[in-house]
Amino acid sequence: MLIALRVVLGAIFIYAAWLKLRDPWQLFAMSIDAYRILPLTAVEWTARVIPWAELAVGLLLITGLWLRVSSSLVSLLLLTFFVLMVRAYAKGMAIDCGCFGPGEAISWKTLLRDGTLLAAALLVTTMAFLNRPKTAA
Amino acid sequence: MKLCALLLAALIPCLGQPMAADKDKVFGNPSAATRLDVFSDFSCPTCRSFHMEILPQLERDYGSSGKLYIVTHEFPLNIPAHKYSREAAYDATAAARIGKYEAVADRLFLNQGVWTASGKVWDAVATVLTPAEQKKVQALAKDPSVLSEVESDVSLGSSLQVNSTPTVFLTHGMRRFAVPNPMNYTFLRSLIDDLK
Repeated sequence: MLIALRVVLGAIFIYAAWLKLRDPWQLFAMSIDAYRILPLTAVEWTARVIPWAELAVGLLLITGLWLRVSSSLVSLLLLTFFVLMVRAYAKGMAIDCGCFGPGEAISWKTLLRDGTLLAAALLVTTMAFLNRPKTAA
Repeated sequence: MKLCALLLAALIPCLGQPMAADKDKVFGNPSAATRLDVFSDFSCPTCRSFHMEILPQLERDYGSSGKLYIVTHEFPLNIPAHKYSREAAYDATAAARIGKYEAVADRLFLNQGVWTASGKVWDAVATVLTPAEQKKVQALAKDPSVLSEVESDVSLGSSLQVNSTPTVFLTHGMRRFAVPNPMNYTFLRSLIDDLK
C-alpha cells in the first residue's frame, strides 16, 4: 500500500512538473501572481524553482530514496497549495489553480482533488516514519 | 499503439492551427511571429479588466514593432448571469461591419455594470454611433452572417476547450499556450519578448 501510494503520488508530481517545465516560466508565474500573496520578484523565483522541486520529490518518492524527507516535503508542498487554494476559493477569487498548467480554474473539484492528494501524502509520511528501521541498541 | 494515440492527442493542442479573424477585431501585424487570440464575453468583469488594462498596454508596447497580432473572438457564456452577452456580441460584431467595433467594445466594457443589470444593451451601443450608423448596426445585428460569425467564434472556442472568459491563447510558430487568468502584464510582456 505504501509503495503504491508513493509511486502514484510521485508520478503525479512528475506529471505536474513536466506540464510546467515544457511551457515558458512566465505562464506559471502568472498563475502564482493571481493568488496575490507574493511580490513580483518572489513570484518569479517561485515559478522557476517549484517545477524542479516537484520533479525532484516526485523522483525521490518513486525510487523510495530518503522517503521520510521526500514524503515530508511533498506533504508540506501540498499543504501549502491546499491552504492557498482554500483561501482563494473562500475569497471568491476567479483564478486559475496553476496545479497542472494554465486553464484550470479553482473549484470544489480542484479542492477535492488536492485535499485527497494531501491526505495521501500525509498517510505516506506517517507510514514512512512508523516503518523506519530500528537502530541496534 | 494506444500510447502513440495518447501522445498524438496530447500534442495536437500545442500545434498552432490558424484561427479565423474578423478584420475589424484585430490589432497589429497579421504576419507577426506572435499572435494572441482572445475569447471574450462583454459581461465578464475579468474581460473588462483585460480590455481596459492589458490591451492598451499591449497596443502601446507592440503597436509599432510589428511583433504581435491580436485577434478578438466573441465567446458569450451561456449562463444566467450573462444573459445579455449574446446580444452585446451581435451588436459589436454588427458594428465591426461598419468599422466601429473598437468604439462599441470600449463603451460596452465601460458601461458593463449598467447594461448587464438593466438589459439595455442597445442604449450603451447607441451612444457611440451616429443615427445613420445606428440604423445600419441595428439591421446588421439581425443579419444571418453576423449571427453566424458569433456562433463560429463560439464553436471555435468550444473546440479549443474554452469554458471561461477571457481565455487567451498565445501562438508562436507551432506552439500554442493558454495564458492564465488574471494576467499580469509584467510577465505577459516578458513572455512575448522571450519568444523569438
